Amino acid sequence: MMAMDPGDIQRAQPEAVPGRGGEPDLDGLLVLVARGDEPAFEAVYSRLAGAAYGLIRKVVRDPAQSEEVTQEVLLEVWRTASRFDPAKGSAATWVLTIAHRRAIDRVRSVTATAARDHLVAEPAPASDEVAEAVEASLDRERVRHCLDGLTELQRESITLAYYGGYSYRQVAGLLGATLSSIKTRIRDGLIRMRDCLGVSG
Amino acid sequence: MKLLRHDLHLLSGVYVLDAIDSDVERDRYQRHLARCQSCSAEVRGLREVTTRMAMAAALQPPPALHGKVVAAVRQTRQLPPAADAQPRPGRWRGRLSGWLPRLALAAATAGVAAAVVLAIILAGAQHQLSIARAENRAIAQVLAAPDARVLTRSTSAGGTATVIVSPSRRELIVTTAGLRSLPASQVYQAWLINPRRTRPAGLLPAPISGKTRPLLATGLLPGDQLGLTIEPAGGTAKPTTTPILVIPLGA
Repeated sequence: MMAMDPGDIQRAQPEAVPGRGGEPDLDGLLVLVARGDEPAFEAVYSRLAGAAYGLIRKVVRDPAQSEEVTQEVLLEVWRTASRFDPAKGSAATWVLTIAHRRAIDRVRSVTATAARDHLVAEPAPASDEVAEAVEASLDRERVRHCLDGLTELQRESITLAYYGGYSYRQVAGLLGATLSSIKTRIRDGLIRMRDCLGVSG
Repeated sequence: MKLLRHDLHLLSGVYVLDAIDSDVERDRYQRHLARCQSCSAEVRGLREVTTRMAMAAALQPPPALHGKVVAAVRQTRQLPPAADAQPRPGRWRGRLSGWLPRLALAAATAGVAAAVVLAIILAGAQHQLSIARAENRAIAQVLAAPDARVLTRSTSAGGTATVIVSPSRRELIVTTAGLRSLPASQVYQAWLINPRRTRPAGLLPAPISGKTRPLLATGLLPGDQLGLTIEPAGGTAKPTTTPILVIPLGA
């Protein structure tokens, strides 16, 4: 643990006040995780484990397998944190990209396919932190609003591919559309989502 | 079959959704990405969309997961930085709950002067924290109200505003995402607009990653509409510009 001189503390202070621009900076936390900082990892866990698990559950469906995949993902975040490059995207994106890829790996492997279970109802989201619950419900609402703004084919293609974990070939088969039209619809739909959500690259 | 360049560009969407199941096709696109700057910029933007979609799917993880992950972390060696990695700035804006113990530990090793400075900071931070908690409680009560309704609309300044309104509590929460960023001399101000009386309903806080934290407005009256305008920093008593958004609240 490094000692801080008073100058450091004064510089750090305005950023630590919550409520006014005080959202924890995940990028900075991941830099600390790369140095083996366990409390920083705990903070990353509390911010992103819910999103990683929820996303993996959507794709994998089976709760036990989803838990396994989530554990693998979080361990990979710990192990490879030094490879995170803030210039290439946000920390949340880095972590959740890993989560989605691992979920896809799991469902595309033959053994897992048989165990995939479409009967599990989605459990009601719960969070012990009010602020996080507020953020999560607002994220849900915004995403829903922006998905509603897409054409039906765009929306179905995107949700089947992302939440359903289907390849675009499979999506084309499911929707009875050509490969090139699915490619185009997904790209156009995501660009519309990007503008609707107001995210910048 | 050799894909045309044009076709490769179109793969950005399916690529960020991990929906390319052919390794050959994915490798070819990745090689293309390394050379095509506009493509990698597009992929960056679209990946942020998938991040929001993932956030929207968040669930409470099984309680046992945390212990398993922490145990695994303690037994797992980390990869060293890649040889070509650039040194990164060591800035760290941590969440308060993690930040306080770290500072306290730092103070134990730093001098008395630092401890005095720290004590003053902590008093302020604790106060801010309790204010933030009280706000969160009030916001949670609106969200939990049986008659709470959620409305999301696009604004003429880009992005969207989301309103959660509870007529029975006469309260509402306003939050936005992706609004045009303003110079320091200006601010977004919320209004409760009513033919009889239009009242200021608060200033939107500065955005974080394009999103503004929830603003709680109280004293909702029947027939009120929510409006948002751009005003001089500090806000005004009456709207001075055309609203970028007006939402009937149906209260």
